[in-house]
Amino acid sequence: MNIIIALIVGFSSGALYALIGVGLTLMSVLTRVVNFSLVAVGVFGAYLSIRSAPLLLTLPPAAQTAITVVIAVIVAAIVSGILGWVEATWLSEATTTARSAVTVASLLLLISLSFILFGSQPQPLRPLLIGPLFLVGQVAITKVGVAMLVAAIVVAIATWLIVSHTPLGVRLRAVSDRQTAAELLGVNVKALQVGVWVAVGAVMGLCVSIIGNTAAADATSMITLIIPGTAAALVGAFKSLPLTIIGGLVVGALQGALTAFPSTTQLRDWIPILIIVLFLLWNQRKEVWDVAR
Amino acid sequence: MSLANPQRAASRVWLPLVFAVGAILLGTLFGFGMPAYIVFVSTSVLIAMVSLLGLGIVTGTAGMIALCQLSFASIGAWILEFLYLKTPLPTVFGAASFLVFMVIAGLITAVLGLVIGLPALRLRGVNLAVITLGVAAAVDTTVQQLGFPDQSTAHIPRPFGLSSDPNGDRGYFLFAVVITVVVALAIYALQGSRIGAAWKSVAFSERGTASAGTSVRTAKLSAFALSAFVGGIAGCLIVGQITQVNYLTFTPINSLGLYVLSIVVGSQLIDMALFGGILFVVIPEILKQFRVPLEWSSVAFGVLGIQALTSNSNLGTGVRAALFRRRRLREAARVEAAGDVAAVETVAEAPIPTGTGRPLLIVDHLTVEFGAVKALTDVSLVVEEGTILGLIGPNGAGKSTFVDAIGGFLPQHTGTASLDGEPLRGLAPHQRARAGLRRTFQQDRVPPSMTVGAYLRFVTRGKADPAAIADALQFFGCPDASIPLSVVDVGTRRLVEVAANLAARPKLLLLDEPAAGLSHDEHLAFANRLRRAPEHFGTTILIIEHDLDLVRSVCSRITVLNFGEVLASGDRATVLSDPKVVSAYMGETEML
Repeated sequence: MNIIIALIVGFSSGALYALIGVGLTLMSVLTRVVNFSLVAVGVFGAYLSIRSAPLLLTLPPAAQTAITVVIAVIVAAIVSGILGWVEATWLSEATTTARSAVTVASLLLLISLSFILFGSQPQPLRPLLIGPLFLVGQVAITKVGVAMLVAAIVVAIATWLIVSHTPLGVRLRAVSDRQTAAELLGVNVKALQVGVWVAVGAVMGLCVSIIGNTAAADATSMITLIIPGTAAALVGAFKSLPLTIIGGLVVGALQGALTAFPSTTQLRDWIPILIIVLFLLWNQRKEVWDVAR
Repeated sequence: MSLANPQRAASRVWLPLVFAVGAILLGTLFGFGMPAYIVFVSTSVLIAMVSLLGLGIVTGTAGMIALCQLSFASIGAWILEFLYLKTPLPTVFGAASFLVFMVIAGLITAVLGLVIGLPALRLRGVNLAVITLGVAAAVDTTVQQLGFPDQSTAHIPRPFGLSSDPNGDRGYFLFAVVITVVVALAIYALQGSRIGAAWKSVAFSERGTASAGTSVRTAKLSAFALSAFVGGIAGCLIVGQITQVNYLTFTPINSLGLYVLSIVVGSQLIDMALFGGILFVVIPEILKQFRVPLEWSSVAFGVLGIQALTSNSNLGTGVRAALFRRRRLREAARVEAAGDVAAVETVAEAPIPTGTGRPLLIVDHLTVEFGAVKALTDVSLVVEEGTILGLIGPNGAGKSTFVDAIGGFLPQHTGTASLDGEPLRGLAPHQRARAGLRRTFQQDRVPPSMTVGAYLRFVTRGKADPAAIADALQFFGCPDASIPLSVVDVGTRRLVEVAANLAARPKLLLLDEPAAGLSHDEHLAFANRLRRAPEHFGTTILIIEHDLDLVRSVCSRITVLNFGEVLASGDRATVLSDPKVVSAYMGETEML
């Protein structure tokens, strides 16, 4: 019984991992990049937005919150869009590895900027949703956790609908598969690519505002949530959105399950990496080469 | 040329050693002449340089993303402290303890590096980035909770009884200089060796590497393990410098910074690793003096990293390109001159080789399916030893698929193939290459980061001596061995690829459109050389070619594929006059 409770404990973080994983998979499919800066962009926007608090003191609380969130979303979208613009301008034909390497550099940039601007002290980043939605036995299922899972599923379904059922989706797929060919057909490749980056950045800004400081106390540790997120995305092989959501929940649940055994807290930090390793070992049963021919 | 080369080669062997001795002398002067503070900071520069050298193997030479270099350093440091404080070994090894423990710590770190690298290998570089980032975070939190064996109370003694005062700092600086020089020399030597060539080749093309008889897995794993080993050594050096460490030295963000810096400077180059080490240490030191947050240096590295990655260049190669532009121009001129020689070279027309009549390659009922598409159906053919067999057919006939299947890149095919009586089933591409089955590619798979000679040494797996290499290059009128492949045009690169694979003297060589990109005159010269190749190199050849003139002039037997099936097979004249073949090539209407 303890374990079941522990599994539920891990649900909230698992849902967040799932959402991050969905964002990563989405970007990998549509823009051929593993975006290591994904969470950093959202965190940067959210933490910058709370800097506006002194200017908004005269407004009613609801308006303060709304404006803060809007700022977070806009900042995250702009930062993400700049990154996307860099990728689309100079690395349009580069390999996934080279494109992802840029996001590693921007991750370093954003972490250090966050450190300078926000410090390593906990910040009053209030979550939009507070408290439990309902109780399972004595364990609370948090509103934030449910919201993250809903967000992950909504983003996944919306992506699926757009990509497979709209003209925009056809273009997105064309750009992703054969960028030059799409360009020759008159598709505005750059706008589409940057558009994906802006949209994903905005979603991350919103999500970080929703979870606030429930997942991690300070900006830097929040940015490292990208790691369990990549574990989730790897379960879906950076291709499948449903598997990514399941992967995120599994990582969270395993971490939660380990809280039932206090002697294993060390292992908790190794759960994402263990999932990653196991998945890769399973995935590489078949020989894979760098190019098709 | 043949006289000058051995001398130059000999001087090249001694040059690094001269540099090494010079560096140690300079280090001695510096360490005992400069103010104590500068010497202490310079030790940090050397440690950062060692970390960057280790990272350069993976990121620079082998082209992968590794984000946990300082995790390796912290593991190395942890093991060194453990050996010092928790085992009776220090009494056994006495003054040499530090050195011995450093090697042990490096080796254990290398094994851990192997374990981490193993799952990421078959897949692409991004997965290595994901894994190493995860490892960096996990090691960081684990070390935070466990702490180092010194528990912030004990101090680790420095090597050879050096004291922990400023005087000891000077002695320790010299120790760090010697270790750095040894590491740099070893890495330099490895980069010039066959394993180094394998790293460069794997960074450019995995398929090309496997076809040269080198295991892609071994190449990547060795790079990663060696990188971890050097990382562990760097960690030990940190312990020796400050005698007590905590997790803050090894945070993941510093690992990220090192990776980005490694990309910015190109830390596979020794001098650039030193420069990177200076940047990594001195910029924060300067910021400290001006009381500016140290993280601004990481911001700068991030910006520089994005710049370097988007322009696909780094400082090291940029500086080198600028310095050697004149030399390269001269070399380009030499290439042209060599090309001219090849064009006017007149060799007596050689007859089409007839062979020994013994079957060398026997392919039986080979079928390859990609999902619902049958790329090859029931293809059977025999290549006789000592001959040149032409494999022709319209586009999409399955010619390259055939070469891929025989070369081992499509293991899921049905049917059998045997080379010289030995079945090929179950052999990986690099094992087939070692068994005497080589192939070339339609695409450019020749790594531009090597010289022509280094590429031939790599492809022949060190079996060809300089004379044999010069012979093979001359045979095909290729550029001189000392010329970098980056200044050789693509058509000539493919000739170099053919020459290299023949110099490896395989039993059978599969050539996939080797003459594409050559002019008509070069085609004729190539045909003449190819006819002499089986006798000269003892190699049987199967050639895929669209140019029927070339096929007609070199092949004794021809097999025609059409829609994945053998349309005709037999001696040259019969096959080329077969109405079915003519119609497949010219289209039905031409026949009417």
